Amino acid sequence: MKPRRFHGLQRPKLRQSWNKYNLYNIARARDPRIGTDDIATFFQQKWRAKGLLRTYHGEHIVERKWERMFNRRLLSVVDMDTKYMAQNDGSELAAGRGSGTDQPPRWDRKSANPRSVTPYMQMTFAPMERRLDIAVFRAMFASSARQARQFCVHGAVKVNGKVRILTRYYRQVPYPAYRLNPGDMFQVDPERVLYATGLPKLSPKDPKQPSTLAGEDEVAEEALEEEAESATEEESEVQAAKAEQDPDTTDAPEAAPVNMKPTRKQIQDLTAQAKAILSEKPLSPAQKKGLRKFIQNAKPLLSRAGRPNASPTEITDELSTLVAELDLGVGGDDKASSGGAVSSDPMASLSDSELKSLEERMEELMDEEEDNPHDPSKPYVTPWRPRNYMAPFAFIPQYLEVHQNICSAVYLRHPVVRKGAAEVPTPYPIGTSQLAFNWYLRRR
Amino acid sequence: MPPAAASSIIRAGAGTARCVAQPSQVPVVASFSTTASRPKFTKARRLFRAWERADGRVFRRHAGEKPSYLPSRRREDDTDKPFPLNPYFKSARVLDERAREVVWEKIMRDGETIKAVSAEFGIDIRRVAAIVRLKEVEKDWIAKNKPLAKPYAKAVLSMLPTHRINPNQSNEPFEAINELHVHPYTMQQIFWPTSESRHFTREDAAEAFHPTLLSADKRVPHPELIQMEREVEQGRPLWDASERFKQAVMESERRAAEKQVAKTIHEEKKTTRVNTERFEFRFKQFNSENVGLKGRSRSVVGWRYGTPHDDRSKGHQIKIPTSVP
Repeated sequence: MKPRRFHGLQRPKLRQSWNKYNLYNIARARDPRIGTDDIATFFQQKWRAKGLLRTYHGEHIVERKWERMFNRRLLSVVDMDTKYMAQNDGSELAAGRGSGTDQPPRWDRKSANPRSVTPYMQMTFAPMERRLDIAVFRAMFASSARQARQFCVHGAVKVNGKVRILTRYYRQVPYPAYRLNPGDMFQVDPERVLYATGLPKLSPKDPKQPSTLAGEDEVAEEALEEEAESATEEESEVQAAKAEQDPDTTDAPEAAPVNMKPTRKQIQDLTAQAKAILSEKPLSPAQKKGLRKFIQNAKPLLSRAGRPNASPTEITDELSTLVAELDLGVGGDDKASSGGAVSSDPMASLSDSELKSLEERMEELMDEEEDNPHDPSKPYVTPWRPRNYMAPFAFIPQYLEVHQNICSAVYLRHPVVRKGAAEVPTPYPIGTSQLAFNWYLRRR
Repeated sequence: MPPAAASSIIRAGAGTARCVAQPSQVPVVASFSTTASRPKFTKARRLFRAWERADGRVFRRHAGEKPSYLPSRRREDDTDKPFPLNPYFKSARVLDERAREVVWEKIMRDGETIKAVSAEFGIDIRRVAAIVRLKEVEKDWIAKNKPLAKPYAKAVLSMLPTHRINPNQSNEPFEAINELHVHPYTMQQIFWPTSESRHFTREDAAEAFHPTLLSADKRVPHPELIQMEREVEQGRPLWDASERFKQAVMESERRAAEKQVAKTIHEEKKTTRVNTERFEFRFKQFNSENVGLKGRSRSVVGWRYGTPHDDRSKGHQIKIPTSVP
């Protein structure tokens, strides 16, 4: 059978994921209105409702496992007003003929709110929220329940400070199906969390490159702008890297003219750096061409530098011309230097207070940079930024206490329902949940 | 075949007309084919892209300090509901970094009790304990120079509704702290005839539900708070009542700690520990004859030996009543 799409547009299914297609599907979802007509039998209604809900609640868990987890007892709480309890001992409710003294009915909107129900039926999938993988997703440490499951399987999640939980089945990792107990603390490796929730890095072979996107007419303006932005950022990074390279190549060989090893080392470093830039960053074709040419020309230079009769001045000259060519190809170095010259002038004209505030701002920026540094070795875009379309999915249920700094959370208690609110996050209306609950009661 | 020819002519006409209208989008690839080629995207995909450009655009990058959820179809004022179809799930507020720090300082530095802090700021008792526990882990990480996920924390807290605490003034409560668990015993309807003159209180109601069920006044997380309110009702000044509340809370926490210690000591008394190189063996005394009334008590050792499970047999058991109703 052809596998169905996880986030489809034709047959949309709501999922536990932060994907933008999922957001679109949730945004345009209509009330399924099961059971509003008498075309379908009760069995059919229940079947359809539970099918809908199971696409969202733990679709990676087989039905039999879920049936074993299901519990028809739904936990609820009532808020007890301390003042009322202090004033009354409960006998007022048994006064009169046994059900309290008659009160004249008040039908104004405030006292008789028709919406103040306790939505018990929205708690159908409460036992699912106990599972470790789903709790990790709910704590916003993973971008989907499936990713959270992967983190558990790969040993990136600790429960109560331990990587290994020995159960009577000798399962060693906190396995994704581990059911949390009230008071359990779970921690996820921060690197994984940053990877899961950060903007993903585009691989150089990715078709969504700026150059290819530019040709399409249907592409959104904003997307274009963003791609352009990122492209310019990338460019400036490349230039910065080259600007760093320049003094090395020109100064260092003069310092050690006899020994060729440093030069050889520098050439090797430069080629490695160029290769890294070529593979990691999205570049324009011209830039790529220039880099490839540089790598190609650096090879014979390297071999010549290895020979015993090599003259250091010749090699350094050639190397500097190579690097200069590379810079000309990009053509951004002059701008950067001229910009620096311009910016140095207004610095002199600033007053002391302005200088101070500027210094403070600089310090702030430095701190920010220290917390969130640029590091190309990471598997996400650095400096770290949250992934797109994350905010509409951002909520933390009340039964968790999450500390984002250390990527840890405590499962305080089981989810409960109270007047007007249920703690289980579900995108479906109460009627659908009720039908699904009735399905799992197994009296069909 | 005249009908086919006729249809092809009609189709050709339609195709050319479309070509004129949208020459760039629907190019005629093969010269002999007069059918217009399919558009590049399906309708669903085109609609999605339209949404991405129009309504979905605000969600792409989060800006500001407020959460942004999908708009509800029914009302405009629903700003805390992430799912448009489910009005019963609300995105609850979370404590911000400063508030957590304040809670930690109150307990670990000022030595206040968990219950007192819970009542002061209106935070659930279990949450207060969890905050202290997590904060300790964070301090440990800082001491060990382990990198914190600060950019992540900043971004996530800007997307969530947050609650801040000012330690120098009275704050609005964060959540309901005196919530009573709805016990299954209390979910039945009972016809309980009593005399009209009887003063039927919550205590009596609890006993009517079950002889072992405690009344609501004792089962709530903060029974001391009710006592404090009662004292205020009786005319005691608020500062005095709150002092007495703090004393009572301290006393109850001390008692709980004592109980815990006594339990551990009792357990320790029962176990004999034998340390070897690899393992620590722990032995406990048990009487295997002590198997309960029917030999099936779940709390004693050996209950499963020799006793057949009767969870599958339906009609074969001889049911001897153990009590006369």
